Amino acid sequence: MPAALRDLRTRLQALERPRAPERLPVRIGRRRIYVLPTRFGLFYALLVAAMLLGALNYNNNPALLLALLLGAAGLASLIASHLQLSGLQVDAVSAEPVQAGEPMWLRVSLSTRDGRRRRGLRGDLEGVLAWTATAEDGSAELALPVPTRRRGWLDPGRLRLSTTQPLGLARAWSRIWPRQALLVYPRAEAHPPPLPETGSDAQRSRVHPLGEEPHQLRRYRSGDAPRTIAWKHSARRDSLVVREYERAQQQDVLLDWAALHGLAHEPRISRLAAWVDQAEREGRRYRLRLPGQADTAAGRGPEHHHACLRALALLPRA
Amino acid sequence: MNAVAVAPSAAAPVPLDDGSRGWALAAAALALLPLLLTLPPGLAAGFGVTAAVTATIGWRRPLPGALRALLALAMVAAVFAVMGTRFGRDSGCALLAAMLAIKPSELRDLRDARSLVGFALFAPFAAFLLDQGPLVMACALAAVLASLLTLQRLADLEAGIAPPPARQRLATMGRLVAIGLPLALLAFWLFPRLGSPLWGVPERALARPGLSDSMSPGGWLDLMADDTPAMRAQFDGPAPPVDQMYWRGPVLLDYDGRTWTRSRWLESLPPPQVRSGRARWDYELEIEATDRRDLPALDLPTTVPDGASLSHGFSLSAPRPLSAPSRWRLQSAPPLNVEAELRPLVRQHALALPPDHDPRTRALGRQWRQEAGGDDQAIIERALDWIRRDFSYTLDTPLPGRNAVDEFLFETRSGFCEHFSSAFAVLMRAADIPARVVTGYTGGYRNPLGGYWIVRRMDAHAWVEVWLEGRGWTRVDPTAAVAPERIYDTLEQRASAAGDGGLGMPRLADFGNVADWLRRGWNDLVLGFDASRQQALLRPLGLQHLQPAQLLLLFAASAALALAGMVWLLARGERERDPLLRAWHRLGRRYARFGLGRAAHEPAQAWAARVAAAHPRSGPALLALSRRFAEARYAALHGGIGRLLDDLARHRP
Repeated sequence: MPAALRDLRTRLQALERPRAPERLPVRIGRRRIYVLPTRFGLFYALLVAAMLLGALNYNNNPALLLALLLGAAGLASLIASHLQLSGLQVDAVSAEPVQAGEPMWLRVSLSTRDGRRRRGLRGDLEGVLAWTATAEDGSAELALPVPTRRRGWLDPGRLRLSTTQPLGLARAWSRIWPRQALLVYPRAEAHPPPLPETGSDAQRSRVHPLGEEPHQLRRYRSGDAPRTIAWKHSARRDSLVVREYERAQQQDVLLDWAALHGLAHEPRISRLAAWVDQAEREGRRYRLRLPGQADTAAGRGPEHHHACLRALALLPRA
Repeated sequence: MNAVAVAPSAAAPVPLDDGSRGWALAAAALALLPLLLTLPPGLAAGFGVTAAVTATIGWRRPLPGALRALLALAMVAAVFAVMGTRFGRDSGCALLAAMLAIKPSELRDLRDARSLVGFALFAPFAAFLLDQGPLVMACALAAVLASLLTLQRLADLEAGIAPPPARQRLATMGRLVAIGLPLALLAFWLFPRLGSPLWGVPERALARPGLSDSMSPGGWLDLMADDTPAMRAQFDGPAPPVDQMYWRGPVLLDYDGRTWTRSRWLESLPPPQVRSGRARWDYELEIEATDRRDLPALDLPTTVPDGASLSHGFSLSAPRPLSAPSRWRLQSAPPLNVEAELRPLVRQHALALPPDHDPRTRALGRQWRQEAGGDDQAIIERALDWIRRDFSYTLDTPLPGRNAVDEFLFETRSGFCEHFSSAFAVLMRAADIPARVVTGYTGGYRNPLGGYWIVRRMDAHAWVEVWLEGRGWTRVDPTAAVAPERIYDTLEQRASAAGDGGLGMPRLADFGNVADWLRRGWNDLVLGFDASRQQALLRPLGLQHLQPAQLLLLFAASAALALAGMVWLLARGERERDPLLRAWHRLGRRYARFGLGRAAHEPAQAWAARVAAAHPRSGPALLALSRRFAEARYAALHGGIGRLLDDLARHRP
């Protein structure tokens, strides 16, 4: 496409509604639906125009009727594609955070209240496409793999919801610009060094029913799992004893920004993110110490993991 | 459940699935069918087979380009071999059919299928240029429906969704057509028609047998077997008896020993003086599409309709070839004396015979002249007596040799109207009586349904006019002397004579009557609709003689109205369904103008309370309304909500 044309196109797109982010839910009304013929639609229009001209010239009425019928059906299909979009409501936009560089599945929830089935709805955002259709109850969900490039808040931008139903002659579209930022985690380093261990290597042990090392025997208390009962010892003593296990209890990991002074800004974040993932995987409790912020409390689990990665993601850019 | 599919890129071609491919091919086949029906049978069969073969072979993978090009060349060559190198409307259509027949060989993806369907839609259009009969129309309608359904299916394929059940698809399509139909019909009746074409209508390269500018005996065999209607006539007042129904076509004056042709220069002379009989026949002629300009009027036309012209031989001609059905208002009267004074030049032409043909006939003519002296009438009677006695009617005639008239008169003595009229005219000229051959139609069949007369193409006829002193040109029909039933009787009478009046026959005839009556209505309402009919349609509305610009304005206004109707349909489709909510929202918008709009999260009562605080004048009323609204909506009180709706509509801030 020539540059001038692309420029014109961008400028025209800027004129489309909505021109500012908006709060969901949004009901798509006729003022924000645009309908233009597709390439095939233009070919069809040309065909009908040629037929019309020929039929008028030869005063051939059946040919004229044929051309008019085709033309009218085409026009009606424009209306039908408009109706495919109008009345559709965009309820919410959500996405699970992912690492920068991985596609983020943007879920757009749609619903209708008028009972008309919508088929072949296409969502596109920055070159990725997804299709959906409404179910019996009028709801639909669109899942778009949005490419992510850098950590932090991602503005999904203007999502285009479009359809070429019913005949493929015209594309009706409407833009959705949710005022909602989506979180992108920092990219984790691919092969990070092992977790930094602080303090002595002395490992404390803690009794844990799911440990591997047998620790001691004790009397049975109601509520003990049957599989922990040591049957041989119990037979010898004439009373039930259970075996207790112990599990290696490691120290909390401190992931300290300041300790990584050899690395540049972004690689440092990548390293920390990789360590957060690793600590989470290994089941260790970890703390994150970032400049200008209070230490996070030591912990683990999805929420803690998310809180740490979020803090890393939202670090100012260098 | 939600169907979620992901396509990585918009530009990638969408491959066709088997179902869509089948639909596209079926639509193309249905579109090709009407076109094949109008082409010469051999060519049509060849194209049909080619289309089927390429579609089968091309189902899995496209044919190689070289093979496709070779196939295309072969088909073009076949078209020119069958139809000749003169390019006409029909050879153009044949080429289109050829291209359409090899198009399925490159059916790979969605785009190919769409372009196939698009081009296929051109086929019924092309077929209409050749034939506008009901069969082609039905095929075309089926093709349009199948094409639209295919487009729908392709759109589904593009969106990656399974096509819905057939009934639902038909319903969707029906709704589309129903929404578009008013606009289409409006455009059909109001769109300005061209008074004269922008570019010429190319004629057929292969002419259909029919009346023409020339006649050579034996040439009408195909025509005599063609039972399609040539024209229909509706009489205002009395109709002439069937044996007086001579519909006058081209008058042929020049004879070269084999073929009778029109004499162009003579026809350009003004028509001579006529003295007519007392009877007057007023009628309207509806002529089927022919590609000819002849208007076969009853012997003899007394008026010339607008635009038509009358030749020296009293043949009426339209200004343009009648490639669409047309209607003409005509008046005729039986002639008493035509061209009482024969100009020497005309007389010389009407006596001319090629010198080296038919020596026996010429000798016979001279001999009869000597025996009769100056009595022309006696010679004519003698010839008719001879024909009545010794000749018979048959359509089974040998090809004529060099002396065609001699062979007919002295050897075969059997033939049909072309032979009789040609031989009779030659004999008369040999006996020094000016004579000419007139071609046209005779007779007709009155359809009791609608009370109009049908003249079929097989009613084509040729007769002779001789010029007699004191009586002018006088019609003599030598064929009628032999086989009047073959001339005046119609297909229906012949059919009922052949069958022994069994129970089936009358019913069949009734069916034919109804079919022709419908066909005539179709011609009248749709096919024959033109600029002048359009004006006539608007006259009852008080619109006289609209200029094209005014007509265009009227059309634009009505089209805008129709489009407004469509927009109304749109707006209706997306408005709130619940009338109570609708009224409530409208009320909210009235307050929004004062910056007191209801926020999305705000309950009705809370909003009303907020407004009441800011707007004390209408506040209490709004509070009461909001309470009633909440009760009607959530407490589901019995009784009508009509009062509440009224109050909501009347309330102003």
